[in-house]
Amino acid sequence: MTENLHNVLELRDVAVHFGGRGGLFGSSGTVVKAVNGVDLEIRRAETVALVGESGCGKSTLSNTIVGLQAPVSGSVKISGEEVVGADRRKLNDIRRKVQMIFQDPALSLDPRSTIGATIGEPLIVRGIARGKALKERVADLLTQVGLRPEHADRYPHQFSGGQRQRVVIARALALEPDLLICDEPVSALDVSVRAQILNLLVALQQRMGVSYLFVSHDLSVVRHICDRVVVMYLGRFVEIADRDIFFADPKHPYTRALMSAVPEADPTVQRSRQRFILQGELPSPANIPSGCAFHTRCPLATEICSKVRPELTPRPDGARVACHHA
Amino acid sequence: METHPRPLLSVDDLTIEIGGANVVDGISFTVAPGKVMALVGESGCGKSLTSYAMLGLLPPAARRSGGTIHLGDQELTALSERAFRKARGKDISIIFQEPSASLDPLTTVGAQIAAAYRTHHKVSRAEAYAKARQMLEDVGIPDPDRRLHQYPFELSGGMCQRIMISIALICSPRVLVADEPTTALDVTIQAQILDLMKKLVTERDTAIVIITHDMGVVADIADDVAVMYAGRIAEIAPVHALFEKPRHPYTALLLASVPKLSDAPKADLATIEGRVPTPNEFNAGCRFADRCPLATERCRAEQPPLFDCGGGHRSACWHIDRMAEIHGRAA
Repeated sequence: MTENLHNVLELRDVAVHFGGRGGLFGSSGTVVKAVNGVDLEIRRAETVALVGESGCGKSTLSNTIVGLQAPVSGSVKISGEEVVGADRRKLNDIRRKVQMIFQDPALSLDPRSTIGATIGEPLIVRGIARGKALKERVADLLTQVGLRPEHADRYPHQFSGGQRQRVVIARALALEPDLLICDEPVSALDVSVRAQILNLLVALQQRMGVSYLFVSHDLSVVRHICDRVVVMYLGRFVEIADRDIFFADPKHPYTRALMSAVPEADPTVQRSRQRFILQGELPSPANIPSGCAFHTRCPLATEICSKVRPELTPRPDGARVACHHA
Repeated sequence: METHPRPLLSVDDLTIEIGGANVVDGISFTVAPGKVMALVGESGCGKSLTSYAMLGLLPPAARRSGGTIHLGDQELTALSERAFRKARGKDISIIFQEPSASLDPLTTVGAQIAAAYRTHHKVSRAEAYAKARQMLEDVGIPDPDRRLHQYPFELSGGMCQRIMISIALICSPRVLVADEPTTALDVTIQAQILDLMKKLVTERDTAIVIITHDMGVVADIADDVAVMYAGRIAEIAPVHALFEKPRHPYTALLLASVPKLSDAPKADLATIEGRVPTPNEFNAGCRFADRCPLATERCRAEQPPLFDCGGGHRSACWHIDRMAEIHGRAA
């Protein structure tokens, strides 16, 4: 129970499947196992990165955590409260504690609403503030994210991409969530603006103690902002480790491939690196390979890999890895 | 392979105007056969317009108001639309960021590659398909016989980009322009595509102009780099020289804002204050002046020329001698 006080998120054996229940025409359909039994805890003021290629299930998992997608099994606890099976009133209460920001801020904002109205809306919906108090709270939020209170009367098109992402962050913080899910929050932004938003996220965490689940494919950003890294492949976690251990000693062959694929912004380093380039592409999640799902692309694969699925097992340095050979 | 004394592609003082503003303002660079030139910069710096001008594909609102582009002895900018159609695909080709948006969804990929070949060669359909099949093998697509008869929706993003490269290269152009070719792809697929491009450069002696905002991609593939800011070249240099010792404040700050392995976790990243000026905010001097920590009165009043720093390294800054101040800040 004491453990729960520290964890803003606890996932136990969460699985999310699509299809297979018989569609409109009664076809049995294939089951897409987007998330296939994952466990994860996120502590207060911790940043956990969720890394993987398109189609690995990272967005489905994010949607499940905010309650946009129901899992077929498992437990999702936000600040100790169970989301799965909760009634509507309870769910509403829990949802306040977890918010989400997306990749493209232009698509996340209503072009016809002033940003003051956009940021204030969750406060009105929840009945938290109105009138003068609302105005003050919106002004405060704008200041927190590095904008000015007088910006409240402007519309999204009057802002640059980086400023819009600040507005999105302000709205997400309006209800003082415990956990903020950031789904590729900087990948649509220019490099210099990206640095500004990353600095802002770090500063907000230090000020407010909010936790982040940082979904990204950009390992240089992940390395910069995260405390812990989780690597996902075809619906399962294949490696979980603290940041320093993760980057100093990546263990799973998939992790190593991901790392060597990210080009380092230094031509001397980049061109002398030993590259480890994966052959082929991610198999379809509707048809996950037997045993270790990665064995079809893995340079270390042997017979056992296609038969027995490796479990996440702890290593001496604290990392957990799902591989027979790592 | 003989060394060419002359560059293959030369862009000379190219100026492109939209609504009276010079959104590309006096760009010059050259690319030799088998070399990769990277145009780097943030959104709106004019890097894509520059690349479209090379293909004669400027949007209707944009107009080339000055400068020339030569491919060998041929002046591309003097070609009529009719003549350009003969050069496009055969002498110079382009691939774009989003391969699925560039391919025809209703035509098999084999037919699209074959059509590109038959535009420039009088051959039978069967010969064109044989050529297309060979091309699919060259770009590393497994099972080419089956793939030829598939539609774009049946292929992944990485595969579609390989198809785009096949279409672009089937007539063996001497120059390939790649506009953010890997931005929409996963990193593992990006690595495959970059390796493929490097292989093609070596094997076919193709000159590549790659447009990107990713400094990692530049470090991986480029021989030379032109850093663009608000329509002008801020700095142009061989890739190692640029990364080791940037001579323009914008380049130095841009490089410092990319997170690196050596950074302490969650340390403050260097940022560039303010934003890129819009064309109606351009001043008479250096367009970076309003965001530059080194800026003086002269910077706002007088446009700096590209000063030669030796070794092919040139920078458009009045204060190259004060660059140490920037490096101190960024470190």
